Parts: sequence; structure tokens; C-alpha cells
Amino acid sequence: MKKSLVCLCLFMTSLLFAQEKYSVNGTLKDKKNGETLFGATVYLKGTTNGAVTNEYGFYSLTAEKGTYTLVISFLGYETITQEIVLDADQTINFEINEASTTLETVVLEAEESERLNIRKPQMSVSKLNAATIKQMPVVLGEVDVIKSIQLLPGVTSSGEGTAGFNVRGGAADQNLVLLDEAIIYNTSHFFGFFSVFNADAIKDIKLYKGDIPAKFGGRISSVLDVRQKDGNSKNLEINGGVGLISSRLAVEGPMFNKKGSFLVAGRTSYAHLFMPIIDELKDDKISFYDLNLKTNYEIDENNRIYLSGYFGRDIFDISKFVKNRYGNASANLRWNHVFNEKLFSNLSLIYSKYDYRIILDFIKLDWIADIKNFNLKYDLGYYASDNLKLDFGVSAITYDFNPGEVRPTDASSPINYRKLDQKRALEAAAYISAEHQLTDKLTAQYGLRLSTFSRLGGQTLSDYANDLPVVYNEDIGIYEEGEEIGTTAYKKSESIKTFTNVEPRLGLSYQLNDESSVKASYTRSVQYVHLLSNTVSVTPVDVWAPSGRYIQPQKSNQYAIGYYRNFNDKTYSLELETYYKNVDNRIDYIDGSNLIGTNNIETEILNGEARAYGLEVLLRKSKGKFQGWFSYTLSKSEQRALGGNAGGPGINKGNWYNTPYDRTHDFSITGSYDFNEKWKFSANFVYQTGRPVTYPNGQYEYEGLSIASFDQRNANRLPAYHRLDLSATLTPNKNKNRRWQSEWVFGLYNAYARRNAASIFFSQDFDTGVNEARRLSIFGSVIPSITYNFKF
Amino acid sequence: MIKTIKLTVLFTVLIAFISCDDKIDVDVPEAAPRLVIEASLDWEKGTSGNNQTIKLSTSTPYFDTTLNTSVIGASVKVTNNNSNVEYNFIDQNDGNYTIDNFVPVINDSYTLEVIYNGETYTATERLMSVAPITNVQQSLEGGFDDEVLDVTIFFDDPAGEENFYMFRIKEEGDLFAELEAESDEFSDGNTQEEFFEKARDNDDETEEYNPGDIVNIKLYGISERYYNYITLLVEQYDTGGDPFSAIPAEIKGNCINVTNEANYAFGYFRVTEFNQVTYTFQ
Repeated sequence: MKKSLVCLCLFMTSLLFAQEKYSVNGTLKDKKNGETLFGATVYLKGTTNGAVTNEYGFYSLTAEKGTYTLVISFLGYETITQEIVLDADQTINFEINEASTTLETVVLEAEESERLNIRKPQMSVSKLNAATIKQMPVVLGEVDVIKSIQLLPGVTSSGEGTAGFNVRGGAADQNLVLLDEAIIYNTSHFFGFFSVFNADAIKDIKLYKGDIPAKFGGRISSVLDVRQKDGNSKNLEINGGVGLISSRLAVEGPMFNKKGSFLVAGRTSYAHLFMPIIDELKDDKISFYDLNLKTNYEIDENNRIYLSGYFGRDIFDISKFVKNRYGNASANLRWNHVFNEKLFSNLSLIYSKYDYRIILDFIKLDWIADIKNFNLKYDLGYYASDNLKLDFGVSAITYDFNPGEVRPTDASSPINYRKLDQKRALEAAAYISAEHQLTDKLTAQYGLRLSTFSRLGGQTLSDYANDLPVVYNEDIGIYEEGEEIGTTAYKKSESIKTFTNVEPRLGLSYQLNDESSVKASYTRSVQYVHLLSNTVSVTPVDVWAPSGRYIQPQKSNQYAIGYYRNFNDKTYSLELETYYKNVDNRIDYIDGSNLIGTNNIETEILNGEARAYGLEVLLRKSKGKFQGWFSYTLSKSEQRALGGNAGGPGINKGNWYNTPYDRTHDFSITGSYDFNEKWKFSANFVYQTGRPVTYPNGQYEYEGLSIASFDQRNANRLPAYHRLDLSATLTPNKNKNRRWQSEWVFGLYNAYARRNAASIFFSQDFDTGVNEARRLSIFGSVIPSITYNFKF
Repeated sequence: MIKTIKLTVLFTVLIAFISCDDKIDVDVPEAAPRLVIEASLDWEKGTSGNNQTIKLSTSTPYFDTTLNTSVIGASVKVTNNNSNVEYNFIDQNDGNYTIDNFVPVINDSYTLEVIYNGETYTATERLMSVAPITNVQQSLEGGFDDEVLDVTIFFDDPAGEENFYMFRIKEEGDLFAELEAESDEFSDGNTQEEFFEKARDNDDETEEYNPGDIVNIKLYGISERYYNYITLLVEQYDTGGDPFSAIPAEIKGNCINVTNEANYAFGYFRVTEFNQVTYTFQ
């Protein structure tokens, strides 16, 4: 409460000192295709007065009456300047030209290296645009958003072939992944080899690793904000590519008499077309596809509507063994409205869904599960004065969880129909945040988010003796299910449990000189939904569960401090950040927990806690023939779960243990070199400490088998992971002066053929009875690739 | 029951499409040896069940190949808690402790007491009954692979009660048996089918089941606690650290060291009824 009073005072003060001032506002677009530009700098030359365009390309500036030179700059675009006479409020829309016209422009969005941004308090953020992502070497030539962010400091994954990513030692479910504002619950295709984002449909991505703005909430580790292109509003444009794994096609163009535009993009794998040829695979089918859609219509200067959608599927059939389908679907209807030159608004109605289905013929079982949500949100931006900008809004999300429904596949099946309890919840939030320039050197960003979560009725919950779903068996020394003593039925109209939390966010930036600044931030965030997974890797069948009577919301505090500096006329930039975070109520799973098909999940878990801290270094070069970055992270991520009311010492004897995402050292280099107009070369090198694992500490004979014994969780590590990837892009000379533009991308993934251990199996050889350790490598050799991209 | 689905197997199969594996040397930690109590009092339907054996041994470092760790000189006793009859097992000096006058009674509770190195271990368990195997069939179509022979056993699950089962299948000539556990959670009261199949090995056609192969299949009625124990044990034995399995854990049975709690014993004291079939593939 105190904090909000301070906010209010600061706000009032700035209003009181307002003099005769006028505003200029407008929208910034790309001249060639009409795409709105996010993150461009607009400022008045010779003053400290500037703004950054928002997600919809909107900017607003306020200054005292006078004549100014307005400068618009955006990396990769030509900078433009214009004289303006500020004697009344006015709207000026700009269109700017790309600095280069090759198919894949080397544009590296080093946001912190921009002139004004060094003073912007926002820290722990990375922005990449589609062009940057597209030129990184990738496995089998499949451009991948999720893999590209893993080259940034503080971002890791559990390895090849695993879904999701981990930010600053957090779990994969702690990332809020948004595609045009819609929540994406599973970011991967093909069990994690490829991501669901089609680079041809993506405009840019922004990753907040901490210092999460108050307008985002619901996840505690990070926000990955992926925005789709609006579609070319000037000309019809077709982009496409043919790769080894998939082919892509994107069509975009103007609509409604150039008042609007559309984008339709599709991508599909086609390995399954060849599978029938190979005898061993003739009954199998493995494929994925996705469809992106976006359209917008400009009603008038102050009103614009957008409709966007995504649909993706994975199909995985192994003859009689299993049939599996899974994927995300989302849709978003938005209305941008400019009230006046200072007040911008956006209203969104968003739907998203993730579902999976598994048919297991051999046991005659058909299993489906899904999670759905509707989200209504209203966000406003108020450009109060030249030193104060306010963002505020409200949102409401309704959740529907269907953790599982089991059906017999036919009459002879031994399976009985059964449906696990459907769960419903409502998450509502209101926020306000201010970006406030306090002095010439000091800028603050402070905000408050008020969130509430209600687990809604319409289901029956089990009651346990002493209200303990898990109890410690003192005799044997294990945790086991509590004694069920009855059930409570909740009406649909009733709320089972409601949580309310205040989440303050604070960021400060102090500019040391023209080229450097220090920043500090504090973020408190709360997460009400949890992905239940007791495995190292996120799998498509992991289910989401809401907080409620037995599961508490996860709460995190993150503190960060950083130093930022530009060198050599902004050719180089350096970012140094250190952070500490702790998480309360992180779910941990008791030994031998079984999550799939379990209705009363509370009997398998204990409430634990987690903590992580680290140091991140990012050195970028963002100008010249050679561009790229070097990143290094030194970090620690641990968790523990004490017995608490359940009694006993807790999981892992109550000791802190490494989370599966703990990586002491994480080092990566990525770079691209423009050799000449024809050839461009790129490379990545990654090195990281091996994943924490649990090795056996002994064996004994039982039922004639050698049984391994284990002790502390995750006390050992896999060997270090390292890998080099190379790629070369050939742009044929004949591209010049013709409409059809094309390029070839040749890639080598894992160039020196390292056998990185995805895991190490310990098992008994069936023929000799001797125990052995086997290393499983996802890629045991060099993976070459070739992709052909075109555009006309 | 859902464990039958063995999702870990499913994902491992997927990974196997492109991955490769090789044997490597790994340094593993070494824990101090612990007592292992393999006390399985299994009563075959239609027999007296008088002859029973309990095995005692100690654990060794993971990669040790000499498993000569028989425990000799311990005192082993089982008490029927309903009738208070005591059964003293005789040390055979090879790690086996035997008896020839044990009387199994369905649903009776039994307590095991082992005294070794001055420490006393105890465990209590109830004798669980089991439904008879009603039929055995072989086919190609059942199981995972339609080109490989499989064998299925059938039995009727009693309705309206929780039942837990363990299966043990062993082909004549194999070194090791395969274990599986199952509950009737999703199939209560129905005729249960459990199939067994060996995966095809393209380099070795004798690996899969072939006509003439003889298999022995045992079906046990087990307690819920033993079901939890053996499920975890089998899961960890089968998956051994793949990325889709849970973090491996200490597996604790029901043998408590009442002298020194921390020095608990590995293994389990189970008391079950079982029936078996021996089947020759046609």
C-alpha cells in the first residue's frame, strides 16, 4: 500500500509542474510492407525527450512549445529526421525504409545499445527479430525461436529432443509463452526437436528474464512475447522454403483497399510421405504441421482491428503400438483505439487450447486431455508528460482443465470409461505501472499488479485425515497417500478457494554517462497454474493443474542489478547482470510419485521451495560485416521440500538439491559474417556444464535381478555438453533486379560430431548379467542440412 | 494401471529413431553395504506351501561383478499374528534360510524378524489371495508388434474391491525373469488380459518368442504397499535414467531396523498366493 502512495505522489508532482506543452503522436511503419515497427526510437534532437514505439508501432511525445528536429531511428532502417513546430497537438505517421534490401537483412536488435534505452529502466530483456533468428545455424535447417533464445545468457534447455526452455534456473512451466498475446502451453513439435513458431509468420520476439513489466503476470520465471507479422499492406508477397524436414509457405498482402492486410502461413513436415517406402516404417506416421493467420483492418486513423490465429498439430503413429495427436490452437481478436494523442488502448479477446490424445491399441485404451482458456484484457497507455508514461489495464482469464478421460477403444477392451475431475478457475488482474524520468540521470519504472485466482466449484474433492493428503510413514521412512475420510462436493456457483496477491514491480536506471548506466530491479510475481511433471523433460502428456485447496500458488521474488555500456560508437555493447530469486510453494514430487491418470494429485506432492542466483555477461557486436554475441552465465539453481505438516524430513531428506536445470557454466558464441554479396557465414558454439542426474551408489540382488540403489537426488552430473554449428547462405547474383528472390542455406549441426550425453542409462546386460552404463546421444554425428528459401 | 502404458517406453522408442547409444565408463558413488532381505513367502494355489526360503545378502558397489555376499549366521523367524504360531527358519550357510512346515492362511498377517550383526529387522505383511488364470493364448496380433509371437493370460478380477497383481515371466534358458505389476484401478471387475512379448532383434531371430519356446508365467496376489514397491523397483530397473523417467529414488521396502533406524534393509517381506502356467509356443 505504501508503495502505491509513493507512486501516486510522484505522479501528482509531475502533473503539477506541467507547463504549456503539446504532444505529437503517430504510428511508425515499414515503408516496404506496411508492418508496424515495435521498439523504434523517436526523440527530439538536442533534448532528452524521447519515446519507444509500442507493440502496435504507436508513439507519443510531449514537449514544451517550440521548434524541434524529430529523429526516428531503428536499427537496420534508415534514420529519418523531420522539422516539427510544436504549437498544437498533432499526429504524424511515419514510414521508414530498410537500410539494406537483401532477402535476409542482418538486423540485430541490440535494444540496450540504443541511445535512449541505456536510460530505460527495463532490464533483463532480450529482443530478437525474425531475420536474426533465421540466420542462426539450426538442426536440420529448421529455424527455431526457442533454440535461438537458448544462446542468450540465463536461458538453457534440458537438451536436444526435449521441449521447453529454462530461464534463470526456473522450470519450463514458469515461462509465459505468448503468441500474439495467446498463451501457448506446449512450445514444441516432434517432442522438442522443433518449435511451434514458424519464422515466416513471426515479426519479433521479446524475452523478459526478470523485471517483468506489471502488465504481464501468471508465470514467475519469464515472459516470451512472440508477435506475428501483420501482413504486407502494400504488395502481395509470397515467402517460402523447402527444407529437409518441413516446407513453408506464407502469403501476405493488402486487403480492403489497402486499409488492411493479411498473412496466411503454413508449415508441414513431409517425412511421413516417404515412410511407406521403407518397409520397417510402412505402418508408421510421424508428422507435424502448423497454420498461422493474421489480418487487420484500419477503420480510421484512431481505430484498427486485428484478428490472429494459430493451429498446430503433431501426429505420431507407430503401427499398432500407439497413436498420438497433440497441439495448440489459439485465436485473438484485438481492437486498437487511440483516444487522443496521449492515450492509446487495446482490447483483446483471446482463446487458447492445448490438447492431446493417445490411443494405445495394444491395451485398447483411448486417452484424451486438454486445457482451455478464454482471456479478456484491456490495456491502456497514457503518455502523461515528457517524463511520465503510464500503462494500466485489467484482464480476466477463465480456465478449463480436463486432466484426462479414458475410454475403451472397443467392446472387448478390459478398460472401463473413466473421467478424471474436470477443474475450473478464474484468474483476474489489474495493474498500473509508470515509467518516470525523475532527474536527468535517474529513471524509474514502478508498478503494481493485483491478481486474484479463484478455483471454481462444480467438482468433488477428497478430504483427508488431519487434512493431510500426504503423510510420512515413520516406520518405513517413506511418504505415502494420506487417509481419505470423505469427500466434499462443491456447487458450480461456489468458489473452492480464492487467492489474492499484490505483486510490486520496481526498476531503476541511473545513467553514468552517455555510454553507460546501472540498473536495478525487483519483481514479485505469482503463478497459479502448474505443469505436473516429475520427469527431467517436459513431455506432451504432462497435465496442467490449478492452485486450490491443496496446491498453493508459486510466489517468486527476483532481485537484479546490472551494468550496461556501449563502446566504439555503439558498435559493441556490454550487459552485465546478476540476480537472485527465491520461489515459495514450488511443487515437488515424492519418491515413486505417479502423475499420469492420478485424480488426486495432492497425494503425490509436497510444497517445496526453490532458489536461484547467477551472473550473466552479454557482449554484442551489432554493426559491421561481422556481427554476433558472446554470452556467459555462472549460476546455481536448487530446490527442497521439507516435510511440514506431513511430517518427516521431507523429500531428499529435506536437503537442498540441484534442479534439473542447474548449469554452473553456460557459455555460447553466435556470429555471422557477411563475406560478400553472395555468401554469408554463421556459427554457434555452445558449452555448458552437464545436467544434474542421480547415479546409482550400489546394487543388490532381488528376484535374481541386479537392483541399483540411489541416495541424494541430482548429486551427480552428465559430462559437459558442447557443440559447434555452422551454416552458409548463398544468395545468387541473379537476384538483383528481379522479383523472385532466393537463397540457399547449407548447415552443419554438431560440426565436430560430439556425442553429447542426453542421458546415461544404468542397466544389466541380459546375456551376461553384468551392470553397465550406456550413453544415449540424440545426435551422434554431424547433421547436415540444406534449405531453399524464396520470396516474390 | 496406467503404468502399463509405459509412456517412458513410448518416448524412448521415439528417441531411438535417431539417437545412438554406446557403452561408457562412469565413476559412480559407493555407499556402505546394507543387508538385503528377500523374504518372499509365496504359496502356490493347490499346494501345501510348507516349504519356504528366505534369502539374505548384502549390497555391493554398482559395477562389482562378484556377488558373493551371502549372509550367514543370522536368525530368521516368521510369526503368524492371528494364531501366534512361530516359524524358525534354518540357516543353510549359503544365504538361504529354509523351513518345511510353514502354514499359509489367506488374509492372515505375518511378521518377519531377522537378527543380524546384533541388529533386529522386522516387517509385517498380510497374505493376499489371487484369482486363477483362466486361459492362455498365443497370437501375432496382440502385443506391440504384429509380426512377433506373444502370449496372453486371462483371469477374472473380483469386482468391488481393489486388487493388485504381479506377473513374473521367464523363458526357459533365459538368465532373467521379467516382472510387471498391475492394479485394477481402470478395469475393476473385468476379465483381465496381460500379454507378454519380446521385442524383435533384427540381428538375432532367437531373441523373440518362436514356436517351441517354453515360458513360465506366474500371477501373484500382492498388497498395495508391495505393489508400490515393486512398481517403483521395476520402473527403475527398466528405465535406468532415461530423460522421461522420474528422478530415481531410494526404494524402501517394509523391513525396518528397530535397533538402528538409519540402517534399514533393502528387499521386502511379502506373503502372497500365486498360480502359474507353463506354455510352449506352437
